[in-house]
Amino acid sequence: MVNIVIDGRKVKAKEESTILEVAQDLNIYIPTLCYHEELSSFGACRLCTVEVKTNGKWQLASSCTTPVEDGMEVQVNSDTAKETRKAAAALLLYKYPDTEAVREIARELGVEAVPAEAGTAHDCILCGMCVRTCQEIVGVSALSFRDRGPNRDIEEPEIEFDPNVCIGCGSCAFVCPTGFIQLEHEDDKRTIWNKVFKMVPCKVCGRYFAPEDQLRYISRTTGVAYSNLTTCTNCR
Amino acid sequence: MERVAFSSWNGKVIDDRKGGTTKTSKVVSYPKPANGEKMAALMGWNGLVLEDPKADVVSLTYNYIKEARKISCGECSVCMIGFDKILDLFDNMATGKGDKSDLTEIAAIAKYVAANSKCSFGRSSLYPVQDALKYFKDDFLELAKGERKIEALKYDVTVTAPCMEACPAKLDIPGYIELIRNNRFDNSLDLIRERCILPGTTGRVCTHPCEDACVRNDVDESLSIRLLKRAAADVDLESGGSALPAPRFEKDEKVAIIGAGPAGLAAAYNLRLKGYGVTIFEALPYAGGMAVVGIPEYRLPATVLSHEIDLIKRMGVEIRLNQKVDNLDVEKLKKDGFDAVYIAVGAHKGNPMGVEGEDQSCEGFVDGVEFLRDFNLGKPIDAKKKVVIVGGGNVAFDCARSCLRLGFKEVEIVYRRSRAEMPANDDEIDAALEEGIKINFLTNPSKIIVKDSKLDCCECIKMKLGKPDESGRRRPEPVKGSEFIMQTDMLICAIGQKPELPVVKADKALDVERWGTVKIDPATQMTNVDGVFAGGDCVLGPATLIEALDMGNKAARGIDNYLQGASTNGDLSFDGVDLAATRGGGYLVKESARKVDFLNPKKRIKNFEEVEGGFAPSAAMTEAGRCLRCYRVVVWQKEQ
Repeated sequence: MVNIVIDGRKVKAKEESTILEVAQDLNIYIPTLCYHEELSSFGACRLCTVEVKTNGKWQLASSCTTPVEDGMEVQVNSDTAKETRKAAAALLLYKYPDTEAVREIARELGVEAVPAEAGTAHDCILCGMCVRTCQEIVGVSALSFRDRGPNRDIEEPEIEFDPNVCIGCGSCAFVCPTGFIQLEHEDDKRTIWNKVFKMVPCKVCGRYFAPEDQLRYISRTTGVAYSNLTTCTNCR
Repeated sequence: MERVAFSSWNGKVIDDRKGGTTKTSKVVSYPKPANGEKMAALMGWNGLVLEDPKADVVSLTYNYIKEARKISCGECSVCMIGFDKILDLFDNMATGKGDKSDLTEIAAIAKYVAANSKCSFGRSSLYPVQDALKYFKDDFLELAKGERKIEALKYDVTVTAPCMEACPAKLDIPGYIELIRNNRFDNSLDLIRERCILPGTTGRVCTHPCEDACVRNDVDESLSIRLLKRAAADVDLESGGSALPAPRFEKDEKVAIIGAGPAGLAAAYNLRLKGYGVTIFEALPYAGGMAVVGIPEYRLPATVLSHEIDLIKRMGVEIRLNQKVDNLDVEKLKKDGFDAVYIAVGAHKGNPMGVEGEDQSCEGFVDGVEFLRDFNLGKPIDAKKKVVIVGGGNVAFDCARSCLRLGFKEVEIVYRRSRAEMPANDDEIDAALEEGIKINFLTNPSKIIVKDSKLDCCECIKMKLGKPDESGRRRPEPVKGSEFIMQTDMLICAIGQKPELPVVKADKALDVERWGTVKIDPATQMTNVDGVFAGGDCVLGPATLIEALDMGNKAARGIDNYLQGASTNGDLSFDGVDLAATRGGGYLVKESARKVDFLNPKKRIKNFEEVEGGFAPSAAMTEAGRCLRCYRVVVWQKEQ
């Protein structure tokens, strides 16, 4: 355990836990768009920035990627921290003005002139949650970040989809905060990232409950026979 | 230009626009054109500098932001969107739709991007824009009022980083690390190959000066840059190995390369990529030069290097083995259809120690590189009881660790200075000590004692360190009367090498430096003989693999310019500029480097198996995540 001071409260925190995790345990709210407790932290949205003091010096840090240190002081709601988070939300809104998830956080952080009505766009805000889910939870890495930098002649960064390894599980669509990733069902077909998957009916109730590719993948990685996997969770 | 009109480099403001007397030398060192050309103005990550007081700061600022935006990766929202919004505000003003509140907003965005970006690039790169807005306010107000235009400036862009600048071949290190982090090992390898055609080889044996320059050293420890490069190469090799790009078109000209070592191979690859016909003449029965006959298997498995050479051959580079070129007849080569020649014969001849009784032909006394070459080419070595190796460089350690593996019971190194001055890599020294090799510091042979044309023993003398010499290392001086006899069955001398150059037959004699290396023009890589270029160890003296690759890359550009009549663009020199220094702050999380496994010292000395393990892809991705992305962008205008 380490001793830290967060918003004036002296607390003991688990070593290697992040500032965000400690704050959440204490019911201190910090906004986020790219954080998920089941995923590694990425620090993309810059909405969880707080002020930390170590060795006598106050500095800004993204709370989702910063582990607590003994003697660390944290100010979640200092003026600087709040202004910095608001500026980050304003920039996100500038780029994705019609995406509701962005509007919502901009309203919450006090960005001026955010439309009151819900946005109708579903832009990808490059939070990378889908990439991390696919890699860390599903374990197939069908999605990857394609960013710029010298010698990479692409205009805009994007999430790239590899249809050869996708198993159609839909986890990315589930985790996507803006609805950019669409999952569509029609009869025995599921479409995601423009790839069509054949769905398997439940042996018991007949409901199309999972893509065949996903069940084959689970069978392959767990060693459970494919025939034992074709019953849906409701009927198991 | 002698005078600096304005500088905010490093945050230190010097304002002499009205005609002061500040000399450039009084300003903190800032980047300057490498070829000594005059510069009008520059904007870089750490400030704005005007040598010409009339330089157009508004247009320079706009173009700097445009160029820097290309480096903003888009992974964190504030940096890329911040750049985009600033550019939009500029465009607004330039088209007469803006007003002065836009300037306030640009300054505010610049502040927040610096405060809240994820990487060092985002945190540092907008300070010069803030400087420009503050000190050239009137010019920007004119823009806001529609009284000024953004001009299409002619400018140059340099993108570097502390690690890139430290790398002799200037690999785009943050770039290939970022691609590994994003699970794009194939793209990463493509990027590495642009400047390093032996990635698996350098990924194992590079002396990695990049790691010494890594900004992480100030936080925790350097990234394992070398091992990340190795990971990109290993992933590729394990999946069967990708091909090198094919030349887009063929050219009529042909180039002859003497020597298939790293310099020759790098030149061959780059020339072939440009469409030239390339033939390499190699004296030895294998291609690879010092990398194949100088580096033992336990550091660099032969299959790694041979695979990388195969790829170059598959591009259409012809390698003629066992073709030693003793006489280089330039006219004859031209008649045979070669339009340029590249001499890259390396430095394979050991230097003598200059001590009494030194007789190269006596049994039991051998030269270091010759010893490594012989056993790497398969010559049987009769392992005796004890061997003593003289020297403190990597060759000495390669000999010592090889001898241990060949079955010598006692292996000792004799070095005339102390560990601090030892030129071998620290990793090598540590590994040798772990394996039980004894190092006698401050000791030097003083006499070789030969009996019946066989080595009998070696007389050594103790040394002490005096004042620093030209190399900055303290000069070793013998301690009078401290001579002693060191018994040994074999003595290997590894105190440096020099080239064995072919005799060049041309209209004039080849210019050679006094230590026997070829003299070249660094701007063109050409020797004094027209159409004859040289590089690698035969120019540098014994140097590193990455330096040889760099020379090969440069020679290819030089030869291309020579054959096509073009010249290269000027680069910036960062001499005296601290690339690690930025005005950006932000908390940095401490995180140690991922480690790899090494074979157990007791077991590994019994064979030539590769000692160091590599990163698994997942470990490489995590390690890559530690990169701070210290890209530095500089946009500069030559004096018109």
